[in-house]
Amino acid sequence: MIRIEDLTFTYPGASKPSLKHVRLHVEKGDFLAVIGNNGCGKSTLCKTLNGLIPHFITGDMEGRVLIDGLDTAEQDVGDLARKVGYVYQDFENQIVRPTVLDDASFACLNYAMDEYKERGKRALSMCGLREKENDFIWQLSGGQKHLLALSGALALEPEVLILDEPIAQLDPFHARQTYEILKKLNQEYGKTIIVIEHHTEYIAQYCKNAVLMRDGEILWKLPAREALRQVEDLEESNIFPPQVTSAAWILKKKGILSQNVQLPTTVDEGREVFSPCRFWPSVRRNQEEKQKGETMVDLENIRAGYRAVKGENRPIFDGFSLKIRKGEKVALMGTNGAGKSTMMKLMIGLMKPEEGTVFLQGKNTRKMSPEEMSRLISMVYQNPEEMFIKDSIQADIAYAMKVRQIPDWEKRTEELLELFDLTAIKERDGRLLSGGQMRRASLAIGIALNPGILLLDEPTANLDIATRHEIMKTLKRLKGITDTVVIATHDMQLVCQWADRILVLKEGKLIADGTRDEIFTDSNTAELGIRPPEIYAMGRALSEKAGCYTIEEFVDCFQEKERNEMHYAGEAV
Amino acid sequence: MRCIMLEKLSENIFDKVSIDFLRNQVLKNAYGNNDTVIAALDPRILLLWYLFFGLVPWFMDNVILLLGMFLLVAVTARLAKIAPLVLFLFCLGVFTQTGYLLLVSLFFGGNGETVVSLLIMTLKVAVVSLASVTVFSGLDPDRLANGLEWFGCPERFSFSISFGYRMLPILMEEFQNILLSYRLRGNAPARDTLAGKVKWLVYQVKVIMSAFYPLMLNTAKRSRTTVEALELKGYRYASRNMAVKRIRLASLRLKKADIWFVGLSAVWTAVCLGLSQWVGSGVLQI
Amino acid sequence: MSAKKSNGMNQSQKLMVFVLTMSLYGLATLITELIPKFQVGIVEFSVEYFLFIPLSLAMLFDPLSAALGASTGELVFSEIMLGQFGGLGELEKFLTVAIGVYIAGCLVKDPKNRTQVGAAAILGVILQLFMGMTVDIVKVQTAVAEFEAVPGLPESVFFTEGFAFLNDVLFSGIFFCMLPTMYLVPRLYGKIEPLLGIKPRQAQDQISGKPVLSVKAAVLSLIGFGAAVGAEYLAESGMQIIDWEASWAESSGALAVGIIVAAAAAAIVIFWMKRNAQLRNAG
Repeated sequence: MIRIEDLTFTYPGASKPSLKHVRLHVEKGDFLAVIGNNGCGKSTLCKTLNGLIPHFITGDMEGRVLIDGLDTAEQDVGDLARKVGYVYQDFENQIVRPTVLDDASFACLNYAMDEYKERGKRALSMCGLREKENDFIWQLSGGQKHLLALSGALALEPEVLILDEPIAQLDPFHARQTYEILKKLNQEYGKTIIVIEHHTEYIAQYCKNAVLMRDGEILWKLPAREALRQVEDLEESNIFPPQVTSAAWILKKKGILSQNVQLPTTVDEGREVFSPCRFWPSVRRNQEEKQKGETMVDLENIRAGYRAVKGENRPIFDGFSLKIRKGEKVALMGTNGAGKSTMMKLMIGLMKPEEGTVFLQGKNTRKMSPEEMSRLISMVYQNPEEMFIKDSIQADIAYAMKVRQIPDWEKRTEELLELFDLTAIKERDGRLLSGGQMRRASLAIGIALNPGILLLDEPTANLDIATRHEIMKTLKRLKGITDTVVIATHDMQLVCQWADRILVLKEGKLIADGTRDEIFTDSNTAELGIRPPEIYAMGRALSEKAGCYTIEEFVDCFQEKERNEMHYAGEAV
Repeated sequence: MRCIMLEKLSENIFDKVSIDFLRNQVLKNAYGNNDTVIAALDPRILLLWYLFFGLVPWFMDNVILLLGMFLLVAVTARLAKIAPLVLFLFCLGVFTQTGYLLLVSLFFGGNGETVVSLLIMTLKVAVVSLASVTVFSGLDPDRLANGLEWFGCPERFSFSISFGYRMLPILMEEFQNILLSYRLRGNAPARDTLAGKVKWLVYQVKVIMSAFYPLMLNTAKRSRTTVEALELKGYRYASRNMAVKRIRLASLRLKKADIWFVGLSAVWTAVCLGLSQWVGSGVLQI
Repeated sequence: MSAKKSNGMNQSQKLMVFVLTMSLYGLATLITELIPKFQVGIVEFSVEYFLFIPLSLAMLFDPLSAALGASTGELVFSEIMLGQFGGLGELEKFLTVAIGVYIAGCLVKDPKNRTQVGAAAILGVILQLFMGMTVDIVKVQTAVAEFEAVPGLPESVFFTEGFAFLNDVLFSGIFFCMLPTMYLVPRLYGKIEPLLGIKPRQAQDQISGKPVLSVKAAVLSLIGFGAAVGAEYLAESGMQIIDWEASWAESSGALAVGIIVAAAAAAIVIFWMKRNAQLRNAG
């Protein structure tokens, strides 16, 4: 289906080629994952497939790309679009029409197909959006928008679909839904699917083959499961294999598993592989006795909602109450639209409740000025770009302190730059940094005023896993500066490793509130797709008593030999 | 007097018209009234209707006829369920335009005659503006774009309308978030005194302006994907293709309601015209 | 078609500039529309418009796309979305803004030169405001029958318009156009281009690629301005002939109106049928 021959491509003005002598064959009906660290040329590769390179993005291109036997350089973008559909990572900007059906059928209309509406409808049905066809785009949730972008590409009935990080912004429930749809497209409709993906659990479960890229080159192409067993190669590219695989690899290295055992990639495979391991209940690391601190945030009987465009205003919260104490590490979970962001906005005073009161450290927020509040509480947005209001990150970090004339603000800025490892890039504009640098900078901006409470909205969304780990490390550095932290997130691994209290919201109601053990045994939360990480399921599959949330804990618990007090923090992540 | 006005102004407008309220009003206007009587009409008919009520009043000097027309467009504006903010801006527009002129002309030795001719001008402006509010605010922008295109308006323009229609909520949200960044991290001057209030207003305007710097860069990032996607969706090819235009405009159909609408408007105008002729004979004609 | 180069930019890059300017300036006008005006005596402190946005973009990228984008954005966002569209009368603002921005964009050779940027920005604004003023005066002249005869009106119109012009140039022109443009352009230069995948504009591009303010541009602007006045004139007065005819037929007024209405209706129906046929035949 796709044949890339010795392809080299250099962006205009770039000194190094982004793709170097790439050779790749993709067969019809494949479900291929392209993996690699940020900036290794994955997106560039995909853009050569739909003709954006060389037709739209001009640059130096050598070699050939053949789709279905036709050279992309000789086809025009329009013809190629009917063969190859593309869904961007920032798919929201790919939707150009105001209503759903309109957007899904837009491409067909442009190619003067008389049955454009039918085609649009058909594509929407394939993606399960049929009942939304008359909605406005802004009425859709993030997951639905993604499916709409997919329908827009599908409507032209291409044989190949390319998706750039399809689930980066989705909650686990919608992520699974998206992959189920892709699976259906692949199996029932025979589409060839290529995804750029960091989430190895999904690759293990859904993909047939995988390609690893590094520095513009293809290292290998292997069947998916085989690929995920190349733990060393993956880790070198900052890709984290499925937790089950990593755990087995560590145990194998320690000589606990036999050397010729094949590493498992899914829980099912793991059952067999780990069978020689016996479960030893680990000495629960004593959860440091939490002294119940003072109440930092107190929401009392809140009623709040947005102004509706049509009809009555619909409240998101009605009679909602919550207390957060000093020193708590709270994870806020729930599907998109459950009210997580609204809750944060209420806490920080960006939204005023219609009824009820918000207290910050015992003071009523209605009676506080924004300046007073900003010393107590701070928030880091989901989209760090919206936090950069100056032209260098140094100026951004300094801004709040400077305008408040905080003594020694220059010195504190230097310290923060140092703390978050940003000194070398302090002159650069925040927007032009890499994903991880952007997040770190936004965190530094968030804590510049030493707030007692920090709110983080999806701090790990859109990041590759290595960067996520970097962010988690940064979060640990906050200790002593800001102890009360609330994170809204979909990232289960983050929740399990970091949080000591988990809140689950559903349609403005708190349906669960407790520690991870309490949350994951609750059947209500499972329905929302809030499931513990894979490693927990693996532990459970091996022993009823096991409750391991991290690879480290798993390795600790499943050692065949006598337990020792060794720690594997260095190897396990 | 002026001080009190200023104080009121800054309190009322800035406290209540938050960017959130504004966004809601604009959305309400752009998306919220696509189920009204007016919105269901054929956009082409409405455009022709507007052509009449937007042009003809300028040549009419008959008060009865103008009043009649005013009543008609007031009713249609009511039917179109215009958002309150738009109506407020409309009133502001009409009265500042002529009120100011009136004051100055009195200063330059104007008299009753000046007042009367300015009043008539105000009435004209009001009719024309209400007619345009009815059509351009009552119709959803996408249908309006189709209507304009049917009359031969460049395709780029009608695309821009639909695109604006799509982008507006995103842009406003992003702008709002950037402004919130300023609010959370900035330090607005206290506004207890009058001087403080002026300072505060100047600060707000400055913040709004500086907010465009990040917004420009962020929007640039978005535009790139958008234009690439447009390319993939064949937009540039379609803009030159008449067949595409035919397919797109096939949804425009004349219905009974359209005939009724035109008929009633015509009858009402004719009655007013007759009335003005009958009462007329120069009594009210100025 | 795909990579047709002119001025160092291909069609899609121009579309990008158009889309960008349209969205940004559209949003800006929407917002300025809602910022209250201040009047101290006769001097008005209004945030007339944030012309600095399209001005900056016109200086950094293709001036024509930015100019058209700006006027379209204003029309689409603040007029149509807010439902304030004034019909034909809006054509005037559309053209004057486009011309002002276009000329200012062409004048800048080196975006890093602050003096040049500032001078071009204020010139563009003066041009736009001056054209706007002329049109406004013509507008009142035609809207009020026997304009010259109404006591005090001509003087007051000239005075208010002239004063408003100076007021706008000195206040909005400097604070909302010139200063922000001078601040923004050098800052955005080299930063915003990579985001769009466009090479930054070089000083030498100008000399070879685009003649600074060619004769063609000047002629086009003149024609555009003529059209602006014409449109306004048409919108407000609808040709003296009709006025004249109406007074001639005063005795049998109803008949004359009837004839005109019938003629207009017939013209519309013919156009309608023709248009339908045209579309049916296509493709």
